Amino acid sequence: MAQTNKNRRGQMPSRGQTASRGQTALSTADKIAPVILVLGAILSVLGFVLAFTIAPPVNGARVDGIAIIGDQMVGNQMLFSQKIFYFHMPVAITSFLALGVAAFYEIRYLMTKDSDYDLKAHLATEVSLVFVVMVMFSGEMWERFEWGVWWTWDPRLTTYFILMLLVIGYFVLRAAVDDPEKRASYASVFGIITFIDVPICFMITRLVPSSVHPTIFRTDSGLSTEMMIPLMCAMFGMLFISYGLFRWRLRTERAQEELDRMKQTLDE
Amino acid sequence: MDPILEQIYATILPSAPYVIAAYALMWGALLVYVIYATVRMKKVESQIAVLQNTLDKATSTKTNSDFAAQTQEVQDESESIKKK
Repeated sequence: MAQTNKNRRGQMPSRGQTASRGQTALSTADKIAPVILVLGAILSVLGFVLAFTIAPPVNGARVDGIAIIGDQMVGNQMLFSQKIFYFHMPVAITSFLALGVAAFYEIRYLMTKDSDYDLKAHLATEVSLVFVVMVMFSGEMWERFEWGVWWTWDPRLTTYFILMLLVIGYFVLRAAVDDPEKRASYASVFGIITFIDVPICFMITRLVPSSVHPTIFRTDSGLSTEMMIPLMCAMFGMLFISYGLFRWRLRTERAQEELDRMKQTLDE
Repeated sequence: MDPILEQIYATILPSAPYVIAAYALMWGALLVYVIYATVRMKKVESQIAVLQNTLDKATSTKTNSDFAAQTQEVQDESESIKKK
């Protein structure tokens, strides 16, 4: 009989699942999630447009003279590749925060053994993986043009690469363990260990001054208002999108569990 | 073109393919995930709709058979009363 009460992942239903059993009404978070997702998409598009319109180009190497462009004296090369930065950094910060959220739910799972926390941690890590991949794609393109190589073992790149491997490892671990209770416990511990790399990765450019990767996230970053507006649009856009996607996936997975319960009822 | 301007704009065109590729890959990765989430949601919703339909049919069939059984019982009772 206990078997019939277990959910799709083979775990006992959580308090949230038991309470929502038979209910089709959406929670407030589920109701506002699509709005936040759309708002995130609008902010991202706005950030993208503003990055190429109002944000001025960054100066590169000095040239052999001065030219007047738009009533301004210009004596340096203009770096168009810097436009990648307007999304590269927000996406990286989003991946860090998503892993932080996952770590929070993993700690909650280990404290309570509530399978709903395991589900949330799993989905937060899933969303973070998407953003990690986006960071790697954008970083690779910038690196190939600016540094002339596809890869270099710079401290920031190395720690982020390790982070990506750990996040992939999280899913490999989940797929490798059959017992649901053990899978959730092992994955939670592994997820917390993964999160340890986040502050290391964030601080590494400060800890290792020889790092060629620039330290952007600082109070004296030198970004003008025209640069900050698209950056903030992209930042909040990506954060809103990640939250919207997380809630969307959570709703789907909970619906899947409801479906499995209905199938069990039909079988009985 | 002015040689100074040529130097100033020297990196613009060569870097354009990398900038375009960076944004295309980023949006592409996000789009793939959105499509995956949509497909999964649609699949679950359609399965729930089919199952709900089956459950409703099963329930209504059960209700009809219960009603028929009750009618039969009443008829049997009235028959026995008549005989008495």
